[in-house]
Formats: sequence, structure tokens, C-alpha cells
Amino acid sequence: MNEWKPRIVGFLCNWCSYGAADLAGVSRMQYPPNVRVIRIPCTGRMSPKFILAAFMKGADGVWISGCHPGDCHYMEGNYYARRKFALFKNLIEYMGIEPGRLHFSWISSAESTKFASVVNEVTSAVKALGPREHFIKTMPRVA
Amino acid sequence: MSEYLSKIKEISERLLKEEKVEIIIGFRKGTVPMMNEPCFAKTPEQVKELVWDSNCGINLANYLTDRKEKIGIIAKGCDSRNIVTHIIENKIKREQLFIIGVSCKGMIDKNKITSMFENEINEVSEDEENIIVKGEGFEKTLNKNDVLQENCKICVHRNPVIYDELAADLLVEQKDVDRYEDVRKIEAMAPEDKWNYFDDILSDCIRCYACRNACPLCYCPTCFVDESRPQWVGKSIDPVDTRTFHFLRAYHCAGRCTDCGACERACPMGIKVRTFTKKLGKDCLELYGWEAGLSLDERPPLDTYRPDDPEDFIK
Amino acid sequence: MRFITIDKKSWANGLENLCENYRLFGPVRDNNHHFFKKLAKGELPDFNYLNTRLSPKSIVYPQSETMFEYSLDESKEDHHILKEINKDYSLQALIGIRPCDAASYLLVKCNFDTPEYKDPYWLRAYESTIFAGLACGNPRSTCFCTSAGCGPFHEDGLDLLLVDEGENFIAKILTSRGENFIKSAGWETETDPTAAEKIIKDMKIKAEEKIASFVSTDQLKNKLSIKLYDAPFWDDIAFACINCGTCTYACPTCWCFDIQDEVSSSSGLRMRNWDSCMYPLFTLHGSGYNPRNTKMQRVRQRFMHKLKYYVDKYGDGIQCVGCGRCIRLCPVNIDIRRVCDMMNKYED
Repeated sequence: MNEWKPRIVGFLCNWCSYGAADLAGVSRMQYPPNVRVIRIPCTGRMSPKFILAAFMKGADGVWISGCHPGDCHYMEGNYYARRKFALFKNLIEYMGIEPGRLHFSWISSAESTKFASVVNEVTSAVKALGPREHFIKTMPRVA
Repeated sequence: MSEYLSKIKEISERLLKEEKVEIIIGFRKGTVPMMNEPCFAKTPEQVKELVWDSNCGINLANYLTDRKEKIGIIAKGCDSRNIVTHIIENKIKREQLFIIGVSCKGMIDKNKITSMFENEINEVSEDEENIIVKGEGFEKTLNKNDVLQENCKICVHRNPVIYDELAADLLVEQKDVDRYEDVRKIEAMAPEDKWNYFDDILSDCIRCYACRNACPLCYCPTCFVDESRPQWVGKSIDPVDTRTFHFLRAYHCAGRCTDCGACERACPMGIKVRTFTKKLGKDCLELYGWEAGLSLDERPPLDTYRPDDPEDFIK
Repeated sequence: MRFITIDKKSWANGLENLCENYRLFGPVRDNNHHFFKKLAKGELPDFNYLNTRLSPKSIVYPQSETMFEYSLDESKEDHHILKEINKDYSLQALIGIRPCDAASYLLVKCNFDTPEYKDPYWLRAYESTIFAGLACGNPRSTCFCTSAGCGPFHEDGLDLLLVDEGENFIAKILTSRGENFIKSAGWETETDPTAAEKIIKDMKIKAEEKIASFVSTDQLKNKLSIKLYDAPFWDDIAFACINCGTCTYACPTCWCFDIQDEVSSSSGLRMRNWDSCMYPLFTLHGSGYNPRNTKMQRVRQRFMHKLKYYVDKYGDGIQCVGCGRCIRLCPVNIDIRRVCDMMNKYED
């Protein structure tokens, strides 16, 4: 039997976490292959719709990673994003998505070790929860 | 209430006569019990139609969006907070407005009152403390405080926060109100129970968008449910799409919602749509010390930040 | 005309028999309101209701209805071919539908069943439906059926009419389908037509007397559309409107829909969903231009359609049965009775 593998969508900021992924790669670091990466220009670009769309299309987990506070390429994009994320995470968990499905991190482009360890952490958290059951939209359930 | 009304009429008539405003936005008596209809008056003659009672739960700030003329508007506590929000979001200018402030003792919950009686209600009247309900073969006096809208029961901003003239003396605000008891109850549930809880309350939704459209905050030229490239949310009554709509509608009101209750009042199916928005209200208060619509000088929480905002959820 | 007396003691039994041949739908209380729902075996409809919250139009015309399915997987032989979806068109019965709601089906029929076009989904569902009406002895204050071409004991659109007589129901059989329905239930106690007719007539008069609200529609036909269209009252009527779809979704006679495709990986589905003239998207052109872009225009369209265009096109009165749902459910109390009267008495 095939072992179930989680599908995780990672939204990575172009200026930091995406670079960290690159560095982790060239440094030959080992980490689980379950994250599908989408490059974004800044965490400030994240719309709540992106996260919901990932979940609706069946992602088992979503992970968003950007620059450390103070390091935003656009000065303050991540500061704004931080507030949006806090409210979003609380609301989606309030609605019944398990904590552990949605992750956030700050990873600079130099932090390849942190990158690998966060991928590990996110993957094992999502793995522990198993396949997601709710909030997946395939065919509409209508008459 | 009647002294409120004569004062409202007096002010409105004066404003129109002196041409300080071109239009007064208020309510006229509804054609069914416990309903009033938002209306406008452009002449002192039309002012006679205005009413004010415990059935003015629709938020009049909704009728200000992008208007160009000078407007007189009757505002209870929550209306005034939404007017503040409208001003800071550039949907109306302060100079355009003459705000007739009305301190509010709460609006009555028509769904609740209707559900208390087997027979149809034909007439509802009120005095200071009581609501008198009449129908075929019954007449009952209810204590108004027992039948207030849920949001009015827990309201701590009954007085208008901005106004140009008051139609009644300011009230003493309610203190020691536990506003988020219901939210805490849901927060304490297991994820599966939360999921089922919301499935249950949303199961009747017919996607009529009354909750969205009754809300003064919802003025986007194109709502996300109408976007087609990409289409974020399907248009059928599939439960996932319905939930997405309610989730995003609420999220879009984050830090802006004044808990005026217009959404819940408008829902034809009696869905407790405030369950979503209240969670965001609670979080904004706890995380950022923010309550919407109290000040013209502060930016709403998602339009600003502090370097030391809480971030214990970020790795 | 045959009349059958149904002892209420044999009611449950009869319904059980009917379950064998019909899918039964009836009013069921859910929280504080009644809705038409499918009745499980042994479940009884709750007749102690004034009017259901929403109209029963969805039984024949679901809010979201699938039409075709298809596959985009090119390795499959029938890829990119629209295929009909199998649906259950076996006999169904609407038990306890009010005469106004039954009459509304006839109004909707003129849209879905024309000499040129026949809507296969609506028509097949409609033709598989028996309308077992329940006479309305207790109209609401918002009911104005008698002046909207209908009434509490109105028979058009029904296969049989049930009249609640306390201990018994009297069933007035109106069509052969109604006859089969009664037979299938096993209700056989025939009653004297003259006596039954008399009882029903007396009750009918009483019920009609209870109707306290009316609209006048006699002048609508004589008005010029363009004059009504340009009438000055629309701004006043539309002011309060928030452009939600409540009135149109609650209305038993609103029939507009919108077709949508949804695709998930390689399988697709085409469906139609109720649409509402209250929404800006209803008239939005592909170019981005919207000919009906303000709420006043949309409100005007709704009332002009129901009370003028329909009147002119079909010549059988207004497109409204007077059920009063839009009046009760409108969040801002826009009242069709008021609008109808304004239109009817408008003199330019």
C-alpha cells in the first residue's frame, strides 16, 4: 500500500524564504519533499483568498514564510501581513480547521538551516494530523 | 421614544428649511410589525413621515456610501461608529454630514419575538420599558430588555460617538458586559465540533447576500463572490462555497465591524452570522486593543501595525 | 367532481401507502419556521402552518441544479462531450402546498414551457409532480392573494384540494392524477358532493373574509410602459433597497437562473443556479458595461417585470400570487403592495 503523503502549499517571499530554499538546496540539506512552493513578492501580497483556495483545492497544510520584522524589502509589508495572518489563523481555526494545518515563519535568505528545520516541523505537524477531510471543494454538492 | 421623535423632526425640519442639508436620512413606519423602512426626506413636508422607535435596527450608514450632497443623518451608537468608519475609509466626508445623534436603548429582535408566539403577530407597540404584542386571540406585554437584539444586549456604545446635535440626552453606558461569552464557548470546542457547529448554522443559507448588503462595510465595486478571473468561490449552494462566502465576508470586516447587528437582522433565514464577525472583533480587541469606529484619528488595525505586535504563532 | 372524506386517523396510514408510489414532500417545522422538505417514511407533514418560510418552488426548480457533466481527460473516449446527468424523475407529491404556491407554478410554467422552447429539467420535474393542496383557513396579514388572481381556496394548478374540517379532511379531486393519488393512498370514503361543496364554499367565504390586504391592478394594463418606467417614484421606492436577493429567492414566481461551469481536475459539471435581478452581475456584459448599473434601475426592473411587462406579455394578470413572502422577509421593508398601488394609480 502506498503511504499517504501530505500535500503542503508553501507561499515563500521572493526576498528571503525563497532564497533560503535555494541556499538549502545548494548546501545539499535534507528535508521532506512535501512542500509545493509558490513564490510571492512579499508576505504583504498574501491574500486570504490564496490560503482558502489552497485548502479548498485539497492542500493538507499551508505554510507562509517571509522576512523577519524590520527586514522587509518593501519596508513594512510583513508588518501588515503579520496582523492579517494573526486574525486569519484565529478565524480559520475557530471555524474548525485544526491548528497545525496553517503555519507561518520568518526565514531570512541566509537561514537555510532554519528553512530545512521549519519544513521538517511543518511536514511532521501536517503528517500527524493526517489527510484533511473538511473544506475541500471538488464537485459541487448540489441537486 | 416620542420625545426623541419630536426632537428629530424639529432638527430635521430646521436643517432642511435653513438649507444646511439637502436630504435627511432616517426611517419611516413599516408596513409590517417590527419593521421600519429606511427613507429620505427632502422637504419639511416629508419630515412628518419620519419615525424613531425600537425597530430601527438597519444601519443607516449603509445609505451614505459615495453620496455627494449635504446630508443630515439620524445616528444611534452603532450608526455613528460606522459613519466614523466611512469617513476614515473615504466613503463620505465629515463636512458633508450633519449627524443627528440618538442615544439608543437597543433595538428589538423581531425573530425572537415572532418565535415566542404560535399565532401571527398583527401589531407591536412600545412604551419606555415594554413591548406590547398583539395578535389574533392574544395580547402580551414583554419587557423590552428581554427581547433586544443580541448585539444590543451586549452593546457598550449606545451613545453616538460623533454628532452635531443630540436628539436626546446621553445615556449611561452599560458596564461589566461579557460581550464574548458565545465566542469563547466555540473557541473551547474541538475542531470537529467547531466544524459541525458552523455546518449546522450555515445549512439554511440561501446565498441571498442580505447579510453582506445590509452591512455598511460592504461597498466593494466588485465583491469577491462576483469575481470570475479567478473565481474564488462557486456560486451554487455547495456547503464549502457557502462557508467560504461567510468566512471571507467576515474577514473582510475585520477591525471594521461595529457589531451593529444589521447582517443578522437582515438574514431571511435567521442565521447567526455575527458568530463569525464577533470572533474578529474579539481578536482585534485582545491583540490590538482596537474597537472599530470610535475615533477619526486612528487607522483601523489592518491599515497599520506596531513593530511589537504579537507574533507567537510565527516560527 | 368527486369528494373523499379522509378520517385523520387514517391519515398516517394513507401517507405510508403513498410512499410506495410517490416521493412525498411536505411542510416540516425546522426551528421556528416551516419549510417544504422530503418526508421520510413515517414522517408526517405539519399542517399547522401559515405559510412556509420559502416557497416550494425549489422542489421542481432547485436553487442549484446540475445539467451536464463532462470529462476533460483526453485519454477517455468521451472527453469533452456533455453528458446528461441521470436524475430521479419518478412521481413525487407536494402535500399541503398552499393554493397560492400551487398557482405560482402555473405562472412559472409560461416561462419554462412555451411553444418554441421547453425547459427539459423544469418540465420533467413538474410533470412528475402531484400537487395536493391544502386550503388556507388562516391567511396572514401580508396575504393579498384574492386581489392577485388567486385565493385561499383557489384550485388552479392543483390536482386535489384538501380542506381541514377538524376530524376529517375533505379531499376535492380535481384531476385524474389527483384521483390516482387518492386511490394509491387507499382513501375511499366518498362523500356527498353537494354537502361537501357547501361546506367548502362556506369555509372559503370565511377564509376570504379574513384577507385584509389588497392590491389594485386594474389600471396596469392601460399604462404605457415608458411612462411607468420614467415615473418619479422609483427613487423613493428604491432608496431603502440593499440589493440583496431575498425577495427574488423567496418569491414563488421568480424564475431567473444563471448557468455556471465548475471544473475540478479533469471532470466538469454544468449547472444552473437561481439568479436575481437585484444583483449587478445579472446584467453585466462581457465588455464590462452594465446597462442596469444602479440599484434604482434594478428595483424598477423587478417591479416592472412582475407588474407591467408580464401583464402585457401574457395577459393573465400580474406575475404575483400574493403570498406576501417578499414583504415579510425584505430586510428593509420594501412592500410590493405599496409599489403596485403606486404604479396602478400613477397618472403622468
